[in-house]
Amino acid sequence: MRSPEPLLSPPKPGLPPEEPSTSTSSTKLPGPVPSPILKSSSSRRTHSRSYSQETVTFAEILRQSSRPIDFEPNGNGFAPNSTQLPNFLRSSTRRNSGRIGSQRDLSDDEARFIYINEPARTHGSVKFVNNAISTSKYTVITFLPRNLFEQFHRVAYIYFLILGALNFVPQLGVFTPALGILPLAFVLFVTAVKDAYEDFRRHRSDNTENSRTSTVLTDGEFQPKMWKDIQVGDIIRVTNNETLPCDMVLLATSDPTGVAYVQTINLDGESNLKTRYAKQETLSTPPERMMGLVKCEQPNRNIYGFLANAEINGKKVSLGPSNIILRGCELKNTNWIIGVAVYTGSDTKVMLNNSGAPSKRSRLESHMNRETISLSVLLGLICTIVMVLAGIWLFVHEEDVGITPFYRKYDFEGKNKDTYNWYGKGGMIVFTFMSAVILFQVMIPISLYISMELVRLGQAFFMIQDKQMYHKATKSKFQCRALNINEDLGQIRYVFSDKTGTLTENKMEFQCASVYGSDFSGSSDGTNENITSVKADGVVLRPKTIVKTDPKLHELLRNGTGRDADRARDFFLALATCNTIVPIEMETADPNVRLLEYQGESPDEQALVYAAAAYGVMLIERTSGHIIVDVFGQQQSYNVLGLHEFDSDRKRMSVIIGCPDKSVKLFVKGADSSMFTVLDKTLNLDVTHLTETHLQNYSNVGLRTLVIGMRDLTSEEFEEWQSAYERASTALLGRGTQLRAIASKMESDLVLLGATGIEDKLQQGVPEAIEKLRQAGIKVWVLTGDKQETAISIGFSCRLLTGEMNQIVINANSRDSCRKSLADAVALSEKMMRNSGEQQALIIDGNSLVYVLETELEEQLFKVATRCDVVLCCRVAPLQKAGIVALIKNRTDDMTLAIGDGANDVSMIQMADVGIGISGQEGRQAVMASDFAMAQFRFLVPLLLVHGHWNYQRMAYMILYNFYRNAVYVFVLFWFVLYTAFTLTNAINEWSAVLYSVVYTAVPTIVVAILDKDLSRSTLMNHPQLYGSGQREEKYNIKLFIGFMLDSLWQSLVIFFLPYLAYRHTDVDWSGLGDLWILGIVILVNLNLAIDVVRWNWVTHAAIWGSIAATWICVIVIDSIWMLPGFWAIYHMMATWRFWFCLLAVIIVGLIPHFVGKAFLEHTMPSDIQIAREVEKFNNPTGTTSMPRVLGESVTTDIEVQMIQQQLQQSQS
Amino acid sequence: MSSSLASSSNLDGSDDTSPQQKQSKKPKYSRFTQQELPACKPLLTPGIVIGIFALVAVLFIPIGLASLSASEAVVEVIDRYDADCVPNDMHGKELDFIQNSSTNKTCTRRLTIPKTMKSPVHIYYELDNFYQNHRRYVKSRSDKQLLQPSKEAETKVCAPEGNTPDGKPIVPCGLIAWSLFNDTYQFSINSDSIQVNKKNIAWASDRSHKFSKDVYPKNFQKGALIGGGKLNESIPLSEQEDLIVWMRTAALPTFRKLYGRIEKDLNANEEITVVIENNYNTYSFGGQKKLVLSTATWIGGKNNFLGVAYLTVGGLCLSLVLAFIVLYLFKPRY
Repeated sequence: MRSPEPLLSPPKPGLPPEEPSTSTSSTKLPGPVPSPILKSSSSRRTHSRSYSQETVTFAEILRQSSRPIDFEPNGNGFAPNSTQLPNFLRSSTRRNSGRIGSQRDLSDDEARFIYINEPARTHGSVKFVNNAISTSKYTVITFLPRNLFEQFHRVAYIYFLILGALNFVPQLGVFTPALGILPLAFVLFVTAVKDAYEDFRRHRSDNTENSRTSTVLTDGEFQPKMWKDIQVGDIIRVTNNETLPCDMVLLATSDPTGVAYVQTINLDGESNLKTRYAKQETLSTPPERMMGLVKCEQPNRNIYGFLANAEINGKKVSLGPSNIILRGCELKNTNWIIGVAVYTGSDTKVMLNNSGAPSKRSRLESHMNRETISLSVLLGLICTIVMVLAGIWLFVHEEDVGITPFYRKYDFEGKNKDTYNWYGKGGMIVFTFMSAVILFQVMIPISLYISMELVRLGQAFFMIQDKQMYHKATKSKFQCRALNINEDLGQIRYVFSDKTGTLTENKMEFQCASVYGSDFSGSSDGTNENITSVKADGVVLRPKTIVKTDPKLHELLRNGTGRDADRARDFFLALATCNTIVPIEMETADPNVRLLEYQGESPDEQALVYAAAAYGVMLIERTSGHIIVDVFGQQQSYNVLGLHEFDSDRKRMSVIIGCPDKSVKLFVKGADSSMFTVLDKTLNLDVTHLTETHLQNYSNVGLRTLVIGMRDLTSEEFEEWQSAYERASTALLGRGTQLRAIASKMESDLVLLGATGIEDKLQQGVPEAIEKLRQAGIKVWVLTGDKQETAISIGFSCRLLTGEMNQIVINANSRDSCRKSLADAVALSEKMMRNSGEQQALIIDGNSLVYVLETELEEQLFKVATRCDVVLCCRVAPLQKAGIVALIKNRTDDMTLAIGDGANDVSMIQMADVGIGISGQEGRQAVMASDFAMAQFRFLVPLLLVHGHWNYQRMAYMILYNFYRNAVYVFVLFWFVLYTAFTLTNAINEWSAVLYSVVYTAVPTIVVAILDKDLSRSTLMNHPQLYGSGQREEKYNIKLFIGFMLDSLWQSLVIFFLPYLAYRHTDVDWSGLGDLWILGIVILVNLNLAIDVVRWNWVTHAAIWGSIAATWICVIVIDSIWMLPGFWAIYHMMATWRFWFCLLAVIIVGLIPHFVGKAFLEHTMPSDIQIAREVEKFNNPTGTTSMPRVLGESVTTDIEVQMIQQQLQQSQS
Repeated sequence: MSSSLASSSNLDGSDDTSPQQKQSKKPKYSRFTQQELPACKPLLTPGIVIGIFALVAVLFIPIGLASLSASEAVVEVIDRYDADCVPNDMHGKELDFIQNSSTNKTCTRRLTIPKTMKSPVHIYYELDNFYQNHRRYVKSRSDKQLLQPSKEAETKVCAPEGNTPDGKPIVPCGLIAWSLFNDTYQFSINSDSIQVNKKNIAWASDRSHKFSKDVYPKNFQKGALIGGGKLNESIPLSEQEDLIVWMRTAALPTFRKLYGRIEKDLNANEEITVVIENNYNTYSFGGQKKLVLSTATWIGGKNNFLGVAYLTVGGLCLSLVLAFIVLYLFKPRY
């Protein structure tokens, strides 16, 4: 219901501005009031959209956007202690940049023309896609080429492909060509099968989606039509709770004012309702008589922008983002809507936005590349050695090779009687080199890539399945969105955490109020519940959330008289009206009772409205022009005459309310810093002082504060405002600035009504989690939009800060003061470093960061910040969050992790090495951008300390092992080549060579990398210091790599030369000795793995012993094929003792260095992990007790040991 | 109409993006999914380390002794004849000597048996510096041709010994067969000739499954360059045991191949006269030729290396036992 009031004439409807501007801050809406809900939400979203654009120049933008603040007339200016609504903050930084693109006009060639209800004509010139969606990547026909194309994006594959292709050069044929390509083919095949299966599932879900139905106007009647058949230009009718089949422009709704509410949870994850409007011009036209042309922009990804003009029934209309409803939205609280399809199928915005999280590469994998390169060098080296030796051999035997039986260069039978397979000495040498590359190619392990994928899948499975990371309350489990950085979780040194919603629950609870100088902090025990319900139309309405109330305040409101009581009533009226909340009635089991749920963008506002309701001022209904408020049992209608939305300059919002008694009031709420500057200084200074004291108290206990003020407007004032407002809102240029100026003008000489304190509760287990993380050597930095006092108090309550810590606070207003305080901080921190033992905390605010980030001062900040144990950044903008992450990421090698829940955290989540989204209250944008998602902050502890640790250990070992494993094999081949006149004969038969890394040795390493645990969960959780192993890269470094390679060198020597010496001067044949070699290699590398396995469960047993058995069987099977030269060789070998003695000797001698080294190192310089393992084992009642009291009198000075000792003593006593 | 939840997952096409549908499943608790499978956690305690080394030592030293003694029990007579079997006037012109078909290649050697050699005495020829594992060489054979009469034309891989100049397939084709060893030995004691059994010198598996009894040599060794031995064209391949032995290519450049067996004890200090037909050309690549008479024990022929290696490793493990005992005693950790 629109309510044009006699007192004032609203801006004429039906006179939309001609310019198609869709500027985020000045969207033109029908009706007297620009929709508050849409406005703030759209600006917020504009912001989030900008994350993806750039993260580098954020400081530049920040400086631009915050510059005006510095020149604010009041000296206080950008005072650091101002209160903010955290989600309003989100709309603060980038509003300027969001405006630029949308001022352009829509030219014909970049527009699409849609004839309403005339799909055929719409498709006349250009064929638009139909509404069938296809999220699948492939069809049956395109699968093969496309999948192969995508797979070959991996450079390693191309390397292997080239090698495989080289194999087809007849002169080089080391392997039978087909066999040479087999390993790669296998890897490609496995991946292709995986992709095909995934795509099949997508096809299936697409089909379900495509065959859903909607009612579409066909031949003058609404008839059901499958989604996939909907075409651009169709008129569609959607009823309540239905999902929109395509992007459509609203034409009419069941609401006479043309309002429709939609839920966009599928789009951006926000669960609150958004308002969309049908244009006045189209509202009343029956759908079948709708005629017109919509000219809109080409499909694009911007879900918060839409630019179109329409000519409907002869009238020109401009359309903006508030007139379009996107596919995937759900219609709520609206009986029906009618709209015309503008974008369908793959053109819809949701489909265009359908892209995954950016892929990151794990630290281990990039280190692995380093080793891969050194292996390539090694490969080149041994190939060169072979080439040089072969060259020398050829020169020495130049005379002989012509008729030497095993060479026979001359072809006496050939037509030209010269040579056969001879390309000159140079040619032969070159071919030797290339053949060597082919033969030794497995030096770079191709199977490692697929193993890593499988292992990560397995690890992800276990992380997802972990019941300790399952949140019962929200029924959400851990999510792995990125599959390639599991192991990074074990190396984190910095955690950057958002505060609101991440450390806290983001469930705002109204705690206390200071009303006109009196503090009402006491609370009743919910005895006043019955008061909070009201009767309306025979139905009892009750707010969904019960708020603790103060009986004294109740008393004052109900029965109080005088100015204090009036102010108190105005205070709550302000809370109930000065907001953008939409009340939603919900059915309950009792048909006479309905719950009232307040939906809105800001949890703070929700808390305030619930509080007002609890005190008897209950917001019941909101339509576009007015709100209905139940004031102490009386339903009253208030006209919302104007609304000045929140912006970061003013840091407050205000509404102009026409009261039932015809008076007009301005209610303002905002951050204390901005509010105290606009109060009427002549009024009651005592109240102001008292309120300031209360505010101080509130923020000291960690409450979020807001100040409420009001002013009665005279009709002259109002009319003046109205005309100015009308002018401003139709202005072509600088509309936003003008509107802000008008708002600032109105928001002055306010009467202070009071202040509120809202608590944002800490999540369960946060202090303990932070404590554990810090014990694990992880620096936890908190980046919050809250003000400094609140941030510090939260810091204390989550034990980030302690009383003994020295706090270094930097909040500067200019570059110079910033430079100075940073210099001081550097000096101070240096001093404190020297008096070691003193912990320090750095607290810096976003205002100072503007002058620091991306300037030469960054280095200084880095110095101070890394010296500090704790860093708290308050009042930071989203891009600054990313900037701080970048500060660490660019200057150190340390791994960073960012965790956050809101859209404002997206930039830092994407910037950090590991991004974690909290699937909490604030929608899913953070989750969408994250690599991992979980429900609670405290899950970070098991994630990092347990799974991260395990994943890192496992993956690191697996990579090294794979290098070692293939090197052993290659070295054995190499030694053999030295005894074949350097001609690259394969010591091992082709089939075994192919199966070696794929079958013989692949399963154990994968199983171990998925299942092995160096330490139990409880040990890791109880001793967070053990996490340091990953941070120090103890399990994967050059030293270990060299160690593994030396081991492989030794083992290859043993594997080759023991049998060589034992079988010299015998009639052993090539295949038989080859079988001995391959069995030696496989058993040795598998046992080598077995020595390093920590935990033997049945899967490990099966994998390792099974692989050895499988190898043996394969060798026997291969030697049972008569076609192959090795026919029956293994049987002859196995019939001799010499074979078995050789095998045994190879295994034992090969393993001795590894075993001795391990036993020696574990004894003389045990790692933390080793000690913990021993404690775990011997402290375990079921374990062996051969070494009781392991840690009786430790000689190791390691803190770790002492720590474990203490634990042990405690548990023993 | 399906529920909104279903649509949310469908819209995205991927599974992890749906807010509620996927997550609502509580992880199933099992020892496997929680990675709590019962497991054994061995640790390298001093006891285990010392125990393992002691065990290895205890295992290896007897094996070493046994195989050493077995190897010592083998009686082996080796006679290198490639140089000596060239007439004095041909020294320095060995190639001319060997390539000339008219020269007398017969050569007589006398071997003294050092110890009694129990029957069977294996006769081997040993070649040195002959790369039967050379890549050009090992591939130069056609296994199909050897087994199936119908595939006799499959000689592509055999070049240049695949076909005769007029295109007829050579059976057996390839460099391996072409270079068949063709020295012969005749043994006698005090002019009593000793029977050499040349049956069953090749593997039974090769005779029955790799070389057919229906394939006969054809066009073999008829080319311009004679590589080695010729074959009797009336005997099927499966009975050409010298060829079968030769074609089981050796793994290493110094190798022996079984020539035959003497099924008669040879007494100590007996002098055996060997008449050698020195036909095979190893002079072109400087290879050695040796005649080897050897008995066999359970460990095979003479080879001290394994025994010595086992004793060495056993000894090493013993000293490691001592070393670790010292380490654990003098630098205890706990």
